[in-house]
Amino acid sequence: MLRHCTIAELLKLRDGDGAAAARLHVEGCEPCRSELDRLYQRTAALKALPAHRAPRDRWPVVREALAGERRRVRIARYSWAGLAAAAALVGVIGVRSIPHSAADDQAAQEVATLVDESQQLEAMLHSLDREGRVVNGATAAAIAALEDRIAAVDQGISRAQAVSMPEESMADLWRERVVLMDQLVHTHVRQVAYVGY
Amino acid sequence: MKASIPLGMAETTAAAVDELAVRRAKTGDLEALERLYRAYEGTVYGLARRICSTPEEAEEVLQETFLEVCRSIRLFRGSAGGSLTAWIKRVAASKALIRIRYEKYRETEELEEERSWSGHLDGDVGLRMDLETALARLPETTRAVVWLHDVEGYTHEEIAELMDKTVSFSKSQLSRAHARLRTWLGEED
Repeated sequence: MLRHCTIAELLKLRDGDGAAAARLHVEGCEPCRSELDRLYQRTAALKALPAHRAPRDRWPVVREALAGERRRVRIARYSWAGLAAAAALVGVIGVRSIPHSAADDQAAQEVATLVDESQQLEAMLHSLDREGRVVNGATAAAIAALEDRIAAVDQGISRAQAVSMPEESMADLWRERVVLMDQLVHTHVRQVAYVGY
Repeated sequence: MKASIPLGMAETTAAAVDELAVRRAKTGDLEALERLYRAYEGTVYGLARRICSTPEEAEEVLQETFLEVCRSIRLFRGSAGGSLTAWIKRVAASKALIRIRYEKYRETEELEEERSWSGHLDGDVGLRMDLETALARLPETTRAVVWLHDVEGYTHEEIAELMDKTVSFSKSQLSRAHARLRTWLGEED
């Protein structure tokens, strides 16, 4: 070889798969030999650089995100069962009794509307394909908090049904559920927009 | 802020995860998953920090990596120790590379980089940096190739697959990186 080695050729020699001609050249060429030595030294120096350590413990965020995912699976199962229950509830409201007053009638109508809205939001949430998406820590925490609150409201609705709570109280619970579901869908939609950017 | 530790320490800690812990982690046991996290946190963050430009990005990679590890560990078919470390590192490298690929300034950055390799950048002459600073000055993709190949021992074929690029791309990035490091470290004759 009549010319000096390129860095690419020296890197191949360093990695043990250089051409015989290049190897022969380096053996008899002081500048190329020095360059190869420098490559070895630089590589050794790279390996000797101190490792960085994470400034903060991220396990709590990871654990919370995992817990959120598990809750979501539970909620998904619960929600579809809940849809049937909700539909049945509307039926119950319709046949349980003739409303005693205009206020009762109005509350019963509102519950029916809120149940319908809640179902639409559930369907929207299902259409977002949330499982395969990675969310950042803040979003994961926000989603987990909302899901916890929805689960708590759902428990409240179940208890309210069991004790035949007045329609106005039922309407309050369903109203809260719709607000929380709306926030949950909104949070997921924002995340979709971010990931899709 | 935690201090830097010698590179090999994380590896030693990682080896402490035994077969039983891995089996428990595969069942979704949170305690076992946390043990896995504690053992590999340093390895993953260290790798991510070398590829990403900021500690915040590296932290996000750390989090995304362990979410992935926790979700997918039941599919892991190797044993604890070497292959587990390799698998987790591969997940981390993949997450870090995805992150830098999605950055909106990527195309512009690469274009500028292609132009600048042909010669010195203005102000490079007479420049002498320490290796840490010089490494940090490389573009993220180039730095990732240097780190994955020269330090982590990935082949150009593996890097090309991880980056969704060609083997030639990986090789040329490595050559160019060393040419640039040589200049920045003041090693030119």
